[in-house]
Amino acid sequence: MRPPVASRPRFLNLFRISYPIGAIASIAHRISGLLLLVSLPALVNGLDYSLQSESNFLTLRTWLASPWATTILAFAAWGLVHHLSAGMRHLLMDAGIGTALLQARRSARAVILLGLLAAVAILLKGLL
Amino acid sequence: MRLFSGQRAWVLQRVTALILIAGLIWGSALLLFSGPISYAQWKSFFAGGHGATLALLCFAATCLHGWIGVRDVILDYVPQRIPRLALLSLIAVLLLASTIRLGLVIAAQVSR
Repeated sequence: MRPPVASRPRFLNLFRISYPIGAIASIAHRISGLLLLVSLPALVNGLDYSLQSESNFLTLRTWLASPWATTILAFAAWGLVHHLSAGMRHLLMDAGIGTALLQARRSARAVILLGLLAAVAILLKGLL
Repeated sequence: MRLFSGQRAWVLQRVTALILIAGLIWGSALLLFSGPISYAQWKSFFAGGHGATLALLCFAATCLHGWIGVRDVILDYVPQRIPRLALLSLIAVLLLASTIRLGLVIAAQVSR
């Protein structure tokens, strides 16, 4: 391997780096992906539990309507919708659609909004 | 498959993404428009050949997709060799164990 160039620029103060809207959509794509990944064992666990008996199924359904579950579901909805729409945005860009700066900024904003809207919808549905 | 190859991972990431887009839109439309489902409906979905296959296919796609994604994230943010390997192994075990568990859960439904 080549030794790294000693004079390469370094600027790692994360609080002073400016984050354009595309960067925020991108880092949230990673965070939501991680969130979804670590929730997989719980998902399988819940499926197993819900299939074991009717009383388990009904217990789980009642629990899902509780404020705690609603909060967790709101995070999950944000993660799922943000990751899904950010991913579709990437796929469209792979196909050459929406790669111009203005369009890319607009779609990044739309992706962030969609994710937040999904979370708010779950919160409103569960808590009202 | 080479664990750290670039192009194959890139293609696999996108193919699994397409499977998951279809699966997620179909699955959430089903849940949204069917109204509250009963235990019998829930059970028969996973006991049927189609439901069981779709669930396993989507979970396998999720694991592959998640492995490639988290591998990229870990390679980006964890430069030290040992923490990197430890994290990658942890995620691999988590995904494999979850897949095996789901396989067992669904097999128990189908064989009944």
